[in-house]
Amino acid sequence: MPAQIPPAERLLNLVIALVNTTGRMTKEQIRTSVAGYDPSGSTEAFERMFERDKDTLRELGVPVLTVTDQTHGDDQGYRIDPDAYALPPMELTSAQLGVLALAAEFWHDQSLQADAARALTKLRAVGATPTATDAVAALAPRVHPAGPALVPLLDAAQDRRVVSFTYRAASTGEVRRRTVEPWRLIASRGGWYLVGRDRDRAAPRVFRLSRITGSVTTSGGPDAFTVPPDADPNALLLSSQTTQGRVARLAVATDRAGALRARATSVVGESTPDARTDVPAGMDVLEVSYTVTGDLAEEVFGYADAVVVLGPPALREDVVRRLRVAAALVDLAPTPPAGGSDG
Amino acid sequence: MAERTPERLTRLLGMVAYLDRHQGVTVEQMAGHFGVPPAQILRDVDTLWMSGTPGYWPHDLIDFDSASLEHGVLRLTESRGMSRALRLGAREAVSLVAALRALRESVGEALDAEQRAVLTSTLDALVSVTGEAAGTVDVQLSVGGVPEAVAQVRTALVGRRRLRLRYVDAADTVSEREVDPWQLVTGDERSYLQAWCHEARGERLFRLDRILEARALQEPVTRAAGSRRDTTVFQPEAEHERVVLELDGRARWVAEQLPVDELTELADGGFRIVLPVASPAWLQHLLLRVAGYVRAVEPAALAGQVAAVARRALAAYDEDPSGGSTSAPDGPG
Repeated sequence: MPAQIPPAERLLNLVIALVNTTGRMTKEQIRTSVAGYDPSGSTEAFERMFERDKDTLRELGVPVLTVTDQTHGDDQGYRIDPDAYALPPMELTSAQLGVLALAAEFWHDQSLQADAARALTKLRAVGATPTATDAVAALAPRVHPAGPALVPLLDAAQDRRVVSFTYRAASTGEVRRRTVEPWRLIASRGGWYLVGRDRDRAAPRVFRLSRITGSVTTSGGPDAFTVPPDADPNALLLSSQTTQGRVARLAVATDRAGALRARATSVVGESTPDARTDVPAGMDVLEVSYTVTGDLAEEVFGYADAVVVLGPPALREDVVRRLRVAAALVDLAPTPPAGGSDG
Repeated sequence: MAERTPERLTRLLGMVAYLDRHQGVTVEQMAGHFGVPPAQILRDVDTLWMSGTPGYWPHDLIDFDSASLEHGVLRLTESRGMSRALRLGAREAVSLVAALRALRESVGEALDAEQRAVLTSTLDALVSVTGEAAGTVDVQLSVGGVPEAVAQVRTALVGRRRLRLRYVDAADTVSEREVDPWQLVTGDERSYLQAWCHEARGERLFRLDRILEARALQEPVTRAAGSRRDTTVFQPEAEHERVVLELDGRARWVAEQLPVDELTELADGGFRIVLPVASPAWLQHLLLRVAGYVRAVEPAALAGQVAAVARRALAAYDEDPSGGSTSAPDGPG
């Protein structure tokens, strides 16, 4: 038995054969003449391999066309049309390829990494020979991993197919099945989000990808919905993250809470004449703008007594409430895991 | 690790299309261009010139000029009709376009005019061949930080000049230092400056939103940039202490956002994690934040310490606001 040639070489020979054929090749011609297929193997084995190869080529953007020739009865043939797979004419400079390589690096360790790397390989075919120029040195963009849900959701959004998935709501912890028209996927502030129309609620909703459990399934065909022209997925995400801009007044111990000081829009020190009498001695008063009460409360109360909220009252109450919860903590060791562990 | 079939096939086809446009490229240039070792290029060439149309007689095959090849130069003499480059699939196009858009939005300002022009022209070229496929993904990078300080960091990066920083670390300690800036690591949650710190004599990462002040100095950078690494997340190491936390399901974000060593789902929706500790201050902050969802901690005494910190803070609130003195804490418990 001849040494089996690697799949990439079989696929390469298949592509070359189907591009160069005059008219079409039948399955039998492919099986017996294209290098890499076993002419003496079973028909079933060939069929399976050929179907897989067609799928692989379609994934790569090289569609295998089915040609039915009337004069040959219902016997089907195949060919590949170079116009169907060719990149439109374009040239890229080596500096542009450098930018694209940086963009591909963006997806480091991500589900889209393979796609980006492959796109880069394709574009390198039309790029200039590299020179030493590095147009975008000193930049390294990174995005948080999206998890396994990103690719199926992205494919569904591209094709406008309806998806469903099991989702754990953040506010209540409730777990249930959601059916959604996926509009857009957005990476923002350390998380990945799906914005779309929740079919059961008949309203737009924002879903965090990391709260999707299990697999995403699609139902029905493509073009199952249209994104309303006035829909603004980014605004929906933003409004789910924030409310209106406000300013907090914070008393901060000298030399503490540097991160808050870095963002402060105004700082009144101990030595600064200040008409207000609510400034505790030994502390500076900062004004920090914020959008979400809960977000700032969470940051501020982490400094414990180094930062005291002077206003607004809602923020102050939020911080005090969180502190009361923390003050109620009592020592409680975890019950040992089932496997048993000794410390 | 064996290369996947689609990746290799894409490169094989890409190489033919490329060599059809460029005659006389060295194996080393080819390796650099396609980002693989020279030995792989030679294996690919071996494959290519055994491939062709059925029959596989010499005139059926992709062919190279063998005299050139002996000198390490690739000269394609027959492409067998494979000179067209492959178009991008929808996901491939989206992955690059979304990344370029995010770059332009977030760090476009950090680039000089020439770099910005390259970024814009690349994006335009890509969109012109991929159409509007890219609208389904949007990545918002967050630069953060004091605008004046970030501007100085950019100036120093572009001009390769030393930078003077006033910086506050996670333990809330302010320090002044001089650094050789290497690169801006821009993430979707926050961004960092990777630099050589002359004070610490080592490579350091500075969160942009913790840089209080920055000033580009006249001295040029003297330390070469270190290797790139994924720096957007805290890198736990063996010597970091571990804590065990058992949390209510509503504190799910902890397991999602922090580098946990172990995650055990509990039957009622809660979960237990083993967490490496970046610093005591960081841990205290975390425990305060999740206090309402904590069911158990190990070491158990941590809970009581955090409660004591919270009670001291409450005392600061309960005092008469005009009463003046907040008694200084006795230092961290």
